[in-house]
Amino acid sequence: MNKTLSTSTLSSRFLDGISNSLVPLISWFPLVMAALTVAVVGLRYGLGVGAITAQEGVMYLHSALFLLGASCALGVDGHVRVDIFYRRFSDRQKAWVNALGHTLFTLPLCLLIGITCWGYVAESWAIREVSPEPGGIPAVFLLKSLIPAMAGLLFLQALSEIIKSLSLLTSESSDAS
Amino acid sequence: MQAEFALTLFLAVCLVLMLGFPVALTLAGVSLVFAAIGTLAGGFDPSYLVALPARIFGTMSNETLVAVPLFILMGNILERARIAEDLLNQMAQLFGRRPGGLGISVVLVGALLAASTGIVGATVVTMGLLSLPTMLRAGYSQSIATGTICATGTLGQIIPPSIALVLLGDIISSAYQQAQLEMGVINTATVSVGDLFVGALVPGLILVACYVLWIAITGWVTPSKVPPIKTSAVSLGQVLKVLLPPLGLIGLVLGSILVGAATPTEASGVGAIGALLLAILRREMSWSRLLEIGESTLQVTSMIFLILIGASVFSLVFRGFGGEELVQEFFHSMSGGPAAALLLVMVVIFLLGFILDFIEITFVVVPIVGPILLAMGFDPVWLGIMIAVNLQTSFLTPPFGFALFYLRGVAPDHVSTSAMYRGVIPFVLLQLGLLLLMWYLPGIVSWLPSKLG
Repeated sequence: MNKTLSTSTLSSRFLDGISNSLVPLISWFPLVMAALTVAVVGLRYGLGVGAITAQEGVMYLHSALFLLGASCALGVDGHVRVDIFYRRFSDRQKAWVNALGHTLFTLPLCLLIGITCWGYVAESWAIREVSPEPGGIPAVFLLKSLIPAMAGLLFLQALSEIIKSLSLLTSESSDAS
Repeated sequence: MQAEFALTLFLAVCLVLMLGFPVALTLAGVSLVFAAIGTLAGGFDPSYLVALPARIFGTMSNETLVAVPLFILMGNILERARIAEDLLNQMAQLFGRRPGGLGISVVLVGALLAASTGIVGATVVTMGLLSLPTMLRAGYSQSIATGTICATGTLGQIIPPSIALVLLGDIISSAYQQAQLEMGVINTATVSVGDLFVGALVPGLILVACYVLWIAITGWVTPSKVPPIKTSAVSLGQVLKVLLPPLGLIGLVLGSILVGAATPTEASGVGAIGALLLAILRREMSWSRLLEIGESTLQVTSMIFLILIGASVFSLVFRGFGGEELVQEFFHSMSGGPAAALLLVMVVIFLLGFILDFIEITFVVVPIVGPILLAMGFDPVWLGIMIAVNLQTSFLTPPFGFALFYLRGVAPDHVSTSAMYRGVIPFVLLQLGLLLLMWYLPGIVSWLPSKLG
C-alpha cells in the first residue's frame, strides 16, 4: 500500500514538474510583449517604419503564453470555478469532482485537440508554412505546433491532478477502515 | 431530436458547472460527452469538430486579444507597486473629513483602477481587502461599506479600458459582421473595441457620479452611517503628487484609444511599460516582484483563454446539433418584435450572471444571440454596453450575485450577510435606473462616438 502511494506521489510530482519548469520562462513573456509593443509603436509613430517581425513576435509570445500556461494554471488551481457549492465541499468531495472531471472532460478534450490538430499541423510542417505578411516570421508551422504542445502538457497535468485526487481518496478510505 | 439535444446540452453545462469543476474544462468536456452520444446515436456529425484547431489558431492570431495579457500586466503592476493603496490613502485624507468622504474615495479609486480588471472576483477581493477594514474601523455601517465595495468592484467592467470590454468588443464585432452578411449587406460596417470603449465612457461616468451622489446624500441625511475619519493635515500638493502619475498614465492609455491614435493593443503595451516606470520611480519594483507579477499575469491570461477554447468546443457542438437555428427560429417565431427579443435576452443574461462570469457569458451566449439581435437592427455598441451594464447588475444582485460571494469570502465574520444584501440594494437600483435610461435614451451611449467619429 505504502509503496503504491509513494509511486503515485512521485509520478504526480514528476508530472507537475514538467509544467512548473516552464513557469519561470513564460512568466517573462508578458513583459517582453509589452516592451516589443512599445518598440513597434515607437518605430511606427516616431520613424514611420513598420516592424512586422516585432509585431508578429508579440503574437508568437502571446500564443505561447496562454497555450503553454494552461497547464501551469491547472497545476496551481488557477482555472476559475463556479464555487457556490464547491467551496463548502469536503476535501474528499472536491477530490471526487476533480478526479471525475479530469477523467471525463480534460483528458478527452486533450485527445480531441491532439487528434483534430494532427493533420492541421502536419500540413503546415509539410510546406514549412511562413507568415502571409512580407517580412513576417517564417515559422508559422512552429506557431501552430504550440496547439498540440498545449494539449500534451494539459493532458500530463490532468493525469497528475487525477493521481493526486485518487491518492487522497484511497488514503482517507484506508484510514477510515 | 437534435433540437432537444442542443437545449439539453446547454442545461447540462449549467448544471455540471455547479459542481465546481473548472469552467473552461466543463464547457468543453460536457459538450464532448454530448458530441460522443450524438455521434453514436446518430444526429451529430463529428466532422464539425475538425474546425477546432483553426478556431484556436484564430484566437492566437487575433491582434485585439493581445491587449488582454498586456492590460492584465498593467493592472498587476499598478496593484503590486501599491499604487492603488497609496491612492486610496491619500484620497481618504483629502475627502475623509466630510461624512461619506471615505466611501467616495473608495468609489473613485475603484473607477480609476478599472483598467486592471475584467474578473469581478479579483477586483472585489482586492477592494475588499484594501478598504473594508478601513471603512469598518472608521465607523461606517456594515451595509454601506460592503455595498460600496461590491458596487465599485463590478464598476471595473464597464469603465474603459477594461478587459471585459476588450473581449466583448471582439465578439460583438464578429457578431456584427455575421449579422450584416446574413442581411445581404455587401459593404459591411465594422465595430471595434475602441468604439465600445468610447460608448462605455459616458454610461460609466454616469454610474460613478450616481454612486458618489448616493454616498454623499447618505452622508447628508444620516452622517452616523458614514462618519468622517481623522485626517492628518495633508496638502493638496501631496495628494496630487500621488494622484497625477497613475491618472496621467490611464488618461494617456485611454485617450490614445479614444481619439484613434493607437489601437487598444498598442495602448495596452505602452500602458504596461508606463506602469512599470512609475513603479520603478516609486522604488516599488524588484526582479523577484517582477517575476511574481509575470506569474500572476500568466495564470490569469491562461485562465481566460482556456475558457475561450472551451467555449469554442461548446459552440461547435451546439451548432452541430442545430442549436443556432433553433435559437434563431425561436426568436423569429416570437411575438412582440425586436424589443421583446432584446428584453428576453437581457433577462436570460441577467439570470446566467448568477452562475457565469463575464468572460463565459461573452464567449458562450453573445455569439449565439448577438447576430440575431444585431440583424434586428440594434446598434452594436449600444447592445454591447447594455449587456455589460446588465451583467454588472446581475453580479450585484442578492442572493446569487458573484460580487457578494467574493466579498463574503474576504469579509470578517462579524459582518452579516444580510447587511451586505441590504447594502447593495441601492446600487442595484441605480444600475437598473441606468439600464432603463439607456433603453429609452440610446443617445447616452451613441452621443460621444458620434462626436469623435
